[in-house]
Amino acid sequence: MRIEKQSIEQLILDFISSELADGTTPAPQDDLLTSGLVDSMGMMWLIQHLEDEFDTAVPPLDVTIENFGTVGAIAAYMSRRLTNSASGVSSQ
Amino acid sequence: MEFGWSTDQKELRAAVIEFAQNELSAGSRDDDSTGSFPRDKWEKCGAFGIQGLHMPEQYSGSPARDLVTSLYAMDALGYACADNGLTFALNAQMWTVQLPILLFGSEYQKERFLPAMCRGEFIGAHAVTEEHAGSDVYSMHTRAVRCDGGYRLTGRKCYVTCAPIANLALVFAITDPEKGKWGLSVFIVETNSDGCERGPVVEKMGLRTAPFGDLILTDCFVPESNRLGPEGAGLTVSSNALEYERCCILVSQLGAMERQLEQSIEYAKTREQFGRPIGKFQAVSHRLVDMKLRLETSRLLLYQAAWRKQQGENASLDSALVKLHLSESFVASGLDSIRTMGGLGYTSVAEIERSLRDAIGGVLYAGTNDIQRNNAARAMGIR
Ligand SMILES: Cc1cc2nc3c(=O)[nH]c(=O)nc-3n(C[C@H](O)[C@H](O)[C@H](O)COP(=O)(O)OP(=O)(O)OC[C@H]3O[C@@H](n4cnc5c(N)ncnc54)[C@H](O)[C@@H]3O)c2cc1C
Repeated sequence: MRIEKQSIEQLILDFISSELADGTTPAPQDDLLTSGLVDSMGMMWLIQHLEDEFDTAVPPLDVTIENFGTVGAIAAYMSRRLTNSASGVSSQ
Repeated sequence: MEFGWSTDQKELRAAVIEFAQNELSAGSRDDDSTGSFPRDKWEKCGAFGIQGLHMPEQYSGSPARDLVTSLYAMDALGYACADNGLTFALNAQMWTVQLPILLFGSEYQKERFLPAMCRGEFIGAHAVTEEHAGSDVYSMHTRAVRCDGGYRLTGRKCYVTCAPIANLALVFAITDPEKGKWGLSVFIVETNSDGCERGPVVEKMGLRTAPFGDLILTDCFVPESNRLGPEGAGLTVSSNALEYERCCILVSQLGAMERQLEQSIEYAKTREQFGRPIGKFQAVSHRLVDMKLRLETSRLLLYQAAWRKQQGENASLDSALVKLHLSESFVASGLDSIRTMGGLGYTSVAEIERSLRDAIGGVLYAGTNDIQRNNAARAMGIR
């Protein structure tokens, strides 16, 4: 599967804006977690959404601030994960 | 959709009931009144295979049962064991200590702690709550500071089930204060470590055979090999553990509700007033129907949530609803069974009032029911 990082980023931004942040659209580099823009439950939903969209499972221990701290980091992580799972390599 | 149980599952249920009736029920009233933890029964449960139900054979000595089957066995245990405190303590260890170690632990941690817990030799606790961090759990203060070879933990956890008797505790502590709740990590603290003190048993209303109390950490050294998951994984471990806890921890109360209902029906059929069995009065029979309805709706919710988890699906809403409905049903049915038995139900001798006292804690632990309603509302898209 080849999915552009940019389109993943857009999908995440749309989900955060419509489902989690009441219309606020963060910039890709904005801190989502410590700023409180997305709380822990919101993060779980976002992950569920990504898992459903890309038909993949995010291992719980991959959910760290490094991988999920900003929209850009999440998109990079997902893009790595999808590329690696297509080639059978672990994503971390 | 399949609602039936297999022959194997029914045989397991029957074996658990026979075990619990023969080995666990005697003496529960005395243990409750003195607030004594029945260690001999805990060890018998280990030998029977209760703590190891859902654990792989390499740690438990017998093949792992799937989640739904394990819960079915714990439901049977609650039905046949009159000591709700004991079944609560068992569930607390199985779902909030053993399971996180199985899911997130290193092979060393699994080998070191799971077999001893399965055998009933070790007792494990899950320590999150602090005096000023209850529902707002991530505002905790317990700190873990890196040092040579590991961490030094300082803080005080409270209301921790089995803390006064635990050999080990999963302790949630802040490793990186800058990152807020994403800076939390989990440690397996062995309670015989220097700097770890188990507080005395705190007296409480119900579940008196499951001792709870404080765990006090003062510059307590924990080796790096006892960190559960990577640094910063605390929130993930906690979210995952909480979902299992909400789905599973009350399962034995389903069985207790079934026992309570059978006793109430029997009493309504045999106790006569105004020349007839009290069950002939609609006020009484309707109450029994309400108890049945609560039991069946709780059971459906619980097994549906467990089935979802077994399929690997998200069950956060289901788990919140199970926790909420089952705990409130147990309180309501506890009260109804006392009403049905009248003055006798209010006495300690009849061993009916105890279940009501045991039920109240259920609306508080694993996140209060107000918090479950908040979570459910959010999961339903209401913000
Ligand atoms: C029997 C029992 C066993 C326990 N075992 C353990 C254990 O093993 N390990 C452990 O770490 N802890 C354990 N606890 C502690 C338990 O998790 C806490 O008591 C619980 O989370 C509530 O925290 P609190 O007592 O500080 O109450 P508070 O958080 O102070 O709540 C007080 C009241 O305010 C309400 N409230 C607070 N915030 C909100 C909100 N945002 N919205 C609506 N209402 C709100 C609550 O619902 C409650 O009614 C146990 C508790 C009990 C009773």
